[in-house]
Amino acid sequence: MQRNELKTGLTLISPWLIGFLALTLFPFLASLYWSFCEYDMLGSPRWVGLRNYRRLAAELADGGTFARALANTAYYAVVSVSLSVVMGITLAVSLSQKVRGRAIYRSLCFLPSVVPLVAASVLWMWLLDPQQGLVNGVLQTVHLPAQNWFQSTSSALWPSSWPADHMGRVFGSKDGLVLMSLWGIGNLLIIYLAALGDIPKGLYEAAELDGAGRVRQFLHITLPMLTPVIFFNVVMGLIQSVQAFTQIYLVSDGRGDPAGSTLTLSMHLFLTAFKDLDMGYASAMAWVMFVLVMLVTIWLFRTSRHWVHH
Amino acid sequence: MNVRNLFSAALVIALLVAIVLAVGVRSEGPPIGREEVVFWHFWGGRDRPIVERIVDRFNQSQDRYWVRAIAMPGSNLDLKFFLSVAGGDPPDLLNQDDPIVADWGHRGVLTPLDELATSDELKRLDDWLYPAARQLGTYEGRLYALCNGLDIRALYCNETLLAEHGLELPKTIDDLDLIAETVAPSGETTGRRRMGYLPDPRRLWAWGIVFGGSFANLQATDPAAMVTADSPEIVEALTWMAGYSRRYGPSELAAFRSGEQALTGASFPLLSDRRYAVVMDGQWRVRDLETAESAATANGQVFDRFAVVPLPSPLGGRSEAGWVNGNFFVVPKLAHNKQGAWEFMKFWSGFEGHEAEAAQACAAGGWIPASQQVVDQRAYQQAIERWPLLRTFVRLAASENQVPIPALPVASMYNQEVVRAAQEVLYRGADPAETLQAASARVRVRLEEVLDAR
Repeated sequence: MQRNELKTGLTLISPWLIGFLALTLFPFLASLYWSFCEYDMLGSPRWVGLRNYRRLAAELADGGTFARALANTAYYAVVSVSLSVVMGITLAVSLSQKVRGRAIYRSLCFLPSVVPLVAASVLWMWLLDPQQGLVNGVLQTVHLPAQNWFQSTSSALWPSSWPADHMGRVFGSKDGLVLMSLWGIGNLLIIYLAALGDIPKGLYEAAELDGAGRVRQFLHITLPMLTPVIFFNVVMGLIQSVQAFTQIYLVSDGRGDPAGSTLTLSMHLFLTAFKDLDMGYASAMAWVMFVLVMLVTIWLFRTSRHWVHH
Repeated sequence: MNVRNLFSAALVIALLVAIVLAVGVRSEGPPIGREEVVFWHFWGGRDRPIVERIVDRFNQSQDRYWVRAIAMPGSNLDLKFFLSVAGGDPPDLLNQDDPIVADWGHRGVLTPLDELATSDELKRLDDWLYPAARQLGTYEGRLYALCNGLDIRALYCNETLLAEHGLELPKTIDDLDLIAETVAPSGETTGRRRMGYLPDPRRLWAWGIVFGGSFANLQATDPAAMVTADSPEIVEALTWMAGYSRRYGPSELAAFRSGEQALTGASFPLLSDRRYAVVMDGQWRVRDLETAESAATANGQVFDRFAVVPLPSPLGGRSEAGWVNGNFFVVPKLAHNKQGAWEFMKFWSGFEGHEAEAAQACAAGGWIPASQQVVDQRAYQQAIERWPLLRTFVRLAASENQVPIPALPVASMYNQEVVRAAQEVLYRGADPAETLQAASARVRVRLEEVLDAR
């Protein structure tokens, strides 16, 4: 009876099992092997030991393409995840207030996240067009300098990257990508709204009796009670931002332009594997990327006990 | 309707769709008794009908082969082709314009043409092709690709605008600098609407050659000596290009260039509100000028006068020089119908008695043929009479100083590294020599690995 049940169970999950083995586990293990090989995907992989990893280390040490890709990815991940947390919570708290038309506002905020990524990217390329885009139009209306967005190598939060003649034009391609990532904040919003709904009302009532105002209630009740969700969103957001590819490919014309300022790890990996036919090196890069994300995630889990209130 | 009926109905509809599709696919097959040649190409837009006419003419001229053309416009044809090769089912023939011959030839993906053509044919082909067309298809002394058209770059100059500033057509680098400074004086001004000339980072490949440099030493046996992007002449060219970035500021340069992305359709920046006095571009813009002139005339507007000149060189540089690329045919190693592919390649490029046909196609598209013998045909001479600006491009096509990206098995990476280095210098203010040295070092490391793997 038990054997029959096992057989039926395996049969029923076989489509997923086959898919997992062929499309996830095999490429996962194969890429580990290839990372120690010279492999162009046309011939057979040839074992070269640690050569690909040594090349990565050398590029990291001398500020080569890999170091650039790593820095770009880190900037994009840190800035976009931080802003998405701040904006997500701000929007969620605002939309949790009992105001007329709340459902409409919530729907409007969620709507962008159902737009396909390619369509959204094309739309953003127009919005951020330095000469004809809506965003620069608004900036100029309020007497702020028009930005060069996807044409610029500058990063707003990295002053050393600002061009000598910037005259306030400090936002560049990575900042444009960060803005695009905030477009999909609707998914986070739903999670924050659900978490806000779960906070016991009694806590606010007790605080009110103790004389706490709205700000203190937010800082000492809302925020701590949201920390498990913030933690979840930070971990997931970090992984997603490291994997981001489609929008970067589209805005950088498939090359990581200008001057490699949008060359993230995923983009560099793609170009190395499929344009330079260097799958061994790309696989090594993928594994380094995997280990780095894992280390950051472990670090987040370790530190979470200090700031996440379960 | 219950679930079972719904499922049955869906199944019947799916079967009907499958049958219709299968019949549809069958009807596209070759005529009985003809061997199919599957041909992938990248041509789209206004060129695609011309390509379809060439294929039709070939099919009509044949009783043995039948070409099925599959258009794949966009930037990833190389990737699609590569995946088809890796999957074991490539097309019989591919028309490409990316620097892939050495990369793929080295990895044994392509059929060398000496396996398709007789030695006599190859010898004739060698004499028949322009030097640049020969270089485009050659890797390690073997021809892997047959060029069917060259893309030549020259300077388009708005003569009317230049005359308004008391300037003449540029003959030297100093002339070009003078044009830039006169039309758009350097200073603190932002939001410029017009420039005399602005170097494009991608065109270091052209200016490097013009300054007398060479991006590779293909005679060298040591991989480290093969890559020469950091040679003094190329550093000098990039330093000169960087002068424009210093003059106007990298931010202003990026802001000015960004406007070009927003130009409607395929507008030629030179034409758009007289944006540039001088701009480097390819022969295809000759047709754009004609279209714009017709539109201006129809609207009763006065149209500026334009001229095309070769890239001006500095003292010690090369004349009639520049970077060339082109369109070429390659036959995958695993192709099913290589002889059919070879026949079609000859037909389109004009080799072995097809010169008149090829001239007709090149004339229709405003393309530059790969051989003087095609240029000499009546149909093409008529095209030159129709578009006199084409004459300079045709003359440049024959020059020994028109050089493609070197045939190294890391050409794709090399191209990217050089362009990125130039962008670093122009947009970030990096040091030309150091940036080119670092880029060259990375390419050398990879080249050594690729050559070792053989």
